[in-house]
Amino acid sequence: MQTQTVKTRKGEWEARLADIKYTLYLMKKNPLVMTGTIIALFFIILAFLANFIVDPKLAYPEGYPNNMYPFERKYMWNANHFINWGPGIALYNGPEFFYLGTDGWGRDLLKMIILAIPVDLYNAAIIVIGAVIFGTLLGAIAGYIGGIFDELILRITDVFFAFPGLVLALVFAAMFGRTLDTLRLAVMLVWWPPYVRLMRGQVLSEKQKPYVEALKALGASGPRILLRHVIPNAIYPILVQATMDFGGAILTFSALMFLGFSPSPALPELGNLCADGYGHIFDAPWVILFPGLTMLIISLAFNLVGDGLRDVLDPRLRR
Amino acid sequence: MFVLLAVSAIVFYLCRGFPSGIAPWTPYIHSKMTEEQIQEVIKTHGFDRPLWEQYFYWLRDILNGDWGLTGAWAQGKPANEVFFHHFPYTVELAVFGTILTIIIGIPLGIISAIKNNKLPDHVSRVIALAGYSTPSYWFGFVLQLIFFYYFSVWGLPYLPSSGASDLGSANLTGIPILDGLLTGNFAYSWDEFCHLILPSFSLSFISLGFLARIVRASMLEVLRQDYITMARSKGLKERVVIYRHALKNALIPAVTLTGIFFANLLGGAMITEYVFSWPGVGQQALRAVFQGDSNFLLVYSLVFAVIIVLANLVVDVLYAFLDPRIKY
Repeated sequence: MQTQTVKTRKGEWEARLADIKYTLYLMKKNPLVMTGTIIALFFIILAFLANFIVDPKLAYPEGYPNNMYPFERKYMWNANHFINWGPGIALYNGPEFFYLGTDGWGRDLLKMIILAIPVDLYNAAIIVIGAVIFGTLLGAIAGYIGGIFDELILRITDVFFAFPGLVLALVFAAMFGRTLDTLRLAVMLVWWPPYVRLMRGQVLSEKQKPYVEALKALGASGPRILLRHVIPNAIYPILVQATMDFGGAILTFSALMFLGFSPSPALPELGNLCADGYGHIFDAPWVILFPGLTMLIISLAFNLVGDGLRDVLDPRLRR
Repeated sequence: MFVLLAVSAIVFYLCRGFPSGIAPWTPYIHSKMTEEQIQEVIKTHGFDRPLWEQYFYWLRDILNGDWGLTGAWAQGKPANEVFFHHFPYTVELAVFGTILTIIIGIPLGIISAIKNNKLPDHVSRVIALAGYSTPSYWFGFVLQLIFFYYFSVWGLPYLPSSGASDLGSANLTGIPILDGLLTGNFAYSWDEFCHLILPSFSLSFISLGFLARIVRASMLEVLRQDYITMARSKGLKERVVIYRHALKNALIPAVTLTGIFFANLLGGAMITEYVFSWPGVGQQALRAVFQGDSNFLLVYSLVFAVIIVLANLVVDVLYAFLDPRIKY
């Protein structure tokens, strides 16, 4: 009996592994997905290395928040730079060379962007993972149990869908203070309902299949069927959605920062760097241009991966 | 109904329930007030009662048409007056944004469905994905920088960067472009139109990607069906097959998406309105959030929830109308 279980489990893993291998093979054939994957990996590696490449003390010099910044060179562009922004730009003639100019604190913008990447990726990852776990479990339970419980959860998600865009997150962030934890929670609050609906629909269709009936006949318990069999079979659309939402989470999180919910104005975070350039769009366009462009590239990379994954995992187009 | 009650209760708790320790009457007082005046403000707004009691008083007032006063940021005018003064601007922006989304998004979707997995499909896919990977505020600034600043630097005809037109004063419908046309003030309408181009393009760029992808997916689905093969085998031209036979059925999911999208825009595209200083409700709501003004936020989220619920209803009805196979 013991060996029997081990054997089936091994077979199951082999099957799943073969499935993943086939998925990877299909992904390799799609140039857009490959581009997205490479860019996304580049940024992830950069995020891990950021604090070694750039000294984090540059963002918060020693003695912060007292006047430790080189304010005399704020919003400046190198005089001998190959890009010319036109009239009305403050030019820097000193010994240092800033590839992307300086921001409102006189810091090197390129270094600040590099320092910002781990902050953004980390927060977006927490938001998406939190929302996926919460939404998926709730949706799966709602779909599996059904009845009043299902109805109740659906109505609750309806409430969250009826909130105007960012308002819920904004009010939440405004009321509970401006810390990174609150901001993450605020974005998560608006992020989980779609997963509930998605997972519920998946579970509802999965529940009808004969294998669930077979498991029930074998005497498997409800949680076991749900966690070991139904959710793994229904998880792919969720993963696709999560990959695509990762970019969206970065955008929403940094939008909150941009609107002024940043815990510290000097925090190197892409939205916060953009906010720094808000009043200086015509005399220092780079301060808003480059952090936004970074955000666009990261988000686009994850969206390309997600979009390609969806095509690859679509059962109608597969095999 | 349940949705509306729940939305208002959540906002009510967040705004007035002291979860943060910020007193809910802060936006309604100013530093020159004496202690008695402050007490009076607290009393007139009912902040001295327990929270659940406040909620029921507020419900009663809302049903009587008394929606409370705003804070100092809107000169203490009644909240509904402020809301309905700014709402027409939002409607205008939403209508233009939706029109632009439709006229760009649907052709993009059709092209990428016809040329599936060829170069046009890849291009439209990148445009679509870039649309929803773009930070909306950043894109607004880029548009302003190019079409306002650099066009004026280079001596080209440039578009206004922000705000709405200030040429007109007629107030028939409250929607500037319509007022201008109705009163014969065409310069006003034209100016307003110029002001609208950048914000509505910025809005539609973000959403046309979704629309294009949905149209593509449903078009591919429809093109695979038997009646299309039948139409082709009859010897109809490919153009006729696509536009006469396939498109009608393929557009049904797009209707849903456009409806929901339009309803969301009516809620005010906060960030776009903020970036372009557009005087719509979204921007006012943003100011209300920063001031902690619960009255305005409650009105705003309630009206918006009504719009969303109605939009869902309209879309459902439209669905049944467009697709006779669906019966309720």
